[in-house]
Amino acid sequence: MNTSSTQVRLSAIGIVAVCLFAALLVRLWFLQGVDPQRFEAATESNRLRVIHEEGPRGRILDRDGRVIVDNRTMIVVALDKEPLRRLEDEERTAVFTDLADTLTGLGVPTKVSTVERRYEDVRYAPQEYVPVAEEVPEDVELYLAERAERFPGVVVERRTVRSYPYGSLAAQFVGYVGEVNETELASVEGAAVPLAADGTPKEYQPGDSFGKGGIEFAEEASLRAVPGRRTIEVNARGELLGEVDRVDARPGDDVWLSLDLDLQAHAERLLAAKIRSLRGREGGEGTLNAPQGSVVILEPGTGQVLAMASYPSYNPAILVNGISTDLWEQLNDPNNGRPLYNWALQGAYAPGSTFKPVTALAGWRAGIIGPGNEEYDDAGTYRLGNCEGAGCTFQNAGRKRLGTVDLARSLAVSSDTYYYRLAELLWINRLQFGDNPIQDVATEFGMGRPTGIDLPGETSGRIPTPEQRREAFESNPEVFMTGEWFTGDTVITSIGQGDVLVTPLQLAELYATIATGGVRYRPQVISKVTRPIDQAEPPGAAGNYEVVRTVTPEEVGRIEMDDDFYLRVLAGLIGVTQDEDGTASRSWSASPTAWTMGGKTGTAQVAGKADSALFAGWGPVAAGVDPEYAISVVIPEAGFGGDVAAPLAFRILAPASDGTLPTACTIAAAGQCRDADASAAQASLRDVGSGGPG
Amino acid sequence: MSTDRVVAPSGFRSRNLGDPRRHVDVVLAAAVGAVLVLGLLLVYSATRRFEQGTGYVVRQLLFAVVGIAAATGVALVDYRRVADWWQALYAVGIVMLVGVLTPLGTVVNGTSGWYRFGPIALQPAEFAKLATILAIAAYLGSVDQVDLRRLAGALGLLGVPVVLTLLQPDLGSALVFIVLGMGMLVVAGVQMRHLGVLVSLGIVAILVILNSGALDDYQTERLTSFVSPDGQSYNVDQAQKAIGSGGLTGFGFTNGPQTRGGFVPEQQTDFIFTVAGEEFGFVGSSLLVALLAVVIWRCWRAAQLAADQTGTLLCIGVTCMFLFHIFENIGMTLGIMPVTGIPLPFVSYGGSSLLASFVAVGLVQSVHMHRFS
Repeated sequence: MNTSSTQVRLSAIGIVAVCLFAALLVRLWFLQGVDPQRFEAATESNRLRVIHEEGPRGRILDRDGRVIVDNRTMIVVALDKEPLRRLEDEERTAVFTDLADTLTGLGVPTKVSTVERRYEDVRYAPQEYVPVAEEVPEDVELYLAERAERFPGVVVERRTVRSYPYGSLAAQFVGYVGEVNETELASVEGAAVPLAADGTPKEYQPGDSFGKGGIEFAEEASLRAVPGRRTIEVNARGELLGEVDRVDARPGDDVWLSLDLDLQAHAERLLAAKIRSLRGREGGEGTLNAPQGSVVILEPGTGQVLAMASYPSYNPAILVNGISTDLWEQLNDPNNGRPLYNWALQGAYAPGSTFKPVTALAGWRAGIIGPGNEEYDDAGTYRLGNCEGAGCTFQNAGRKRLGTVDLARSLAVSSDTYYYRLAELLWINRLQFGDNPIQDVATEFGMGRPTGIDLPGETSGRIPTPEQRREAFESNPEVFMTGEWFTGDTVITSIGQGDVLVTPLQLAELYATIATGGVRYRPQVISKVTRPIDQAEPPGAAGNYEVVRTVTPEEVGRIEMDDDFYLRVLAGLIGVTQDEDGTASRSWSASPTAWTMGGKTGTAQVAGKADSALFAGWGPVAAGVDPEYAISVVIPEAGFGGDVAAPLAFRILAPASDGTLPTACTIAAAGQCRDADASAAQASLRDVGSGGPG
Repeated sequence: MSTDRVVAPSGFRSRNLGDPRRHVDVVLAAAVGAVLVLGLLLVYSATRRFEQGTGYVVRQLLFAVVGIAAATGVALVDYRRVADWWQALYAVGIVMLVGVLTPLGTVVNGTSGWYRFGPIALQPAEFAKLATILAIAAYLGSVDQVDLRRLAGALGLLGVPVVLTLLQPDLGSALVFIVLGMGMLVVAGVQMRHLGVLVSLGIVAILVILNSGALDDYQTERLTSFVSPDGQSYNVDQAQKAIGSGGLTGFGFTNGPQTRGGFVPEQQTDFIFTVAGEEFGFVGSSLLVALLAVVIWRCWRAAQLAADQTGTLLCIGVTCMFLFHIFENIGMTLGIMPVTGIPLPFVSYGGSSLLASFVAVGLVQSVHMHRFS
């Protein structure tokens, strides 16, 4: 029936069909046969997510293994952007709205706009999970996990964050942790990457945490965990299908401090109470603002820090989820006393009379004073020789006549004129003694430069010299009045005034060195680094850790002091507390320690402000007994050292001296704490920066 | 006992040379069967991650059984008897296409192309295609020469379903009508100059449609994304990743990561070929293409062998319909054709398509079987 014309037409259809099939097969071969690898990589980025797991940081423990800085798990609701990107805009908005409503309904107030903003935040890499709600309760995690279908691209993560069982205790000291910034990241790149004990690199990724101060910064390399990595397979909705590969993170090493938590808590509490009681009162030279204050307690025979209190403080827990600009400004506001500062080593103050032992040694070494040649009649004022005018007369505090004083008594009753005379003689005979006899002794004791403590941010303080002044003037003649050094400069330097500045830590070190008879140790806070064996058990429990590194006391100098000198200085510094007219004798009788203490009060004048109150000393002082504590107390704009700083020092050390130190209170146990004052103090400290998490 | 009166024991095969049951195209049946089995495997793999899991493949199997029964029934009836009823059948097809545009129809993905009866959804366009093929075959098969009047009549028969499917809007099905209609017109003997004018008009019409805004944005986008591959849609991108990563031998049955993860949308229906590509690789997917080629070849061969012009046109209509379905469907997953939602015959999940495809094969078998009667 078919005509030949139909056959031709049918053939045409056939040829078309053959061509079409050929086209399909050629294209198929092009996709599958030529280079299938290029597609494999593409499908892997589709379905595989590599999750970098930082692992828990090491903990920070006190000398007895009590945990000061711990970890806890925080549940975070985050977005997996990849599957969300695939949704239509309306669908995505619907998911976000549903998520925000659901979270809000479950007690985690969340705004749709916040979720959208985070999703669009370009700082997060496409593969990275973007957190939208932190600190969500466990039932939210369950709720979302059971409804994964309804929330494509929503993941619930568990993150390890810092927790602070003792609240603000030792806050500036331990520092805090925050997201690593670019500078920090660069500092740990390549060869600088910290290594675990077995040599495994502890690599960083953007978004990781990094120690931002104190121990967290100083021991970043130990505390950081060896990161792990999880490769998971997800489907198009971002739901977990399975785990492809896993390298577990290894927790960081624990850092033990020399700190005695009980003493620390006690010192912080009393310091805070003292400062609060001072504020607003009128002192001789103006209002007592007491904007800040610090207490440092060292172990003289090792240089270990037993306590280091800085006021005001803050609770580092408020920084766990990042920090807002507001909060940051609040924590750094001078009007708040800069709670983030550790004033014990970042503050530098005129030491006043606490500096006198330094001048005494310089005078003794020069031979200006010595056995049988040490008495001087203190008339209350001192006039420089060859000098006319008001600026030539220097006086004791309150122009007080002290009568005949020897070296010991010059310390006990704090005669200024005794040192003015020494200073003048040292300066006018500078051809013989050099320009800097006092400064050289101060430098020997470690002043004018960082002590080398294993904490960051330490300031040098300042020991002024004629040379320094000349150089400063020459380099910047507009700013400085003169490049010349006068007799009067040495005179005021001799009593720790003028340009002299020391940190409370340097001051404590000075008295620790006096306590040991001249052996100077580098102050240190880290006693050892350990690797936990069972993370679930208390890290300080015996047998539950391996020691990675032990820090031994480090002697950094010996100060030559002959016995004649040393005995006189001891007598003088003991006289400060024990003599009837010693500058700290009244406060001593009010709250003495169980053993005898030596020390020196200081009342430093600061132009335009109330005096700084200082005390530095040590105890016990007794023949054949090792000194256990060297202490410095410094509170600026606070009044007399003998009235403010010395009694605080005694009250801090009193319970340590008789073994009645109250146990430091964790926040959780605050209600049951013996000392009700403790929790009150903690609470008020937490008020600083109460802006809430950022 | 007379040797030429022996009755075969089965009773099925007759000694009568004219008996249609002796002329079943076994190759066509076998090829369709093989494609069907492969298709069931692919549907299983693509849907096992869903909650209803095996429900899809079970339903597909049910439709296949119904389809095979229908095909057998259609094959046994002489296609000429069926062609006698072309006006009625065509009318039913058109009524169904009109009805689906009314509230009786259900809108899926923006297209009003479905009747929903509880769990079963019917796509009238699939059946209208068969009715149209039958109508044009009967209408043009009765004459030796297609003059202008006949051409206009055939174009009318073709134009109504094209317009109706465009109204749904279902661009894919409309294209199927146009392609199978053109194929049939070519074979029916339309004069070349008429054909030339027709093609020119078609091209003008396409340009007008594209620029008039009559198409929904998504349809224009699909078509233009094909023209400018930079804007390739997510679907096509994922489809090519799936196929490409399959390589030579594939990841193995149910092991394709793209399939398991559900990264290719509409994978059990329009993008079913990606499962073959990913899990069976070039070896498996080219085998599927080859089997489909066999189906096309046998349908085309039936057209060639047909006893009359109606039979030829009927078979060539089915051939063109399948050919376009196959080329367009696989071509879009391979990125050489624009994305339109038309199924891969015997493979894509979907009852209407499967049933209609079987009936179409039944018609071809009928032409093949009744070529001596």
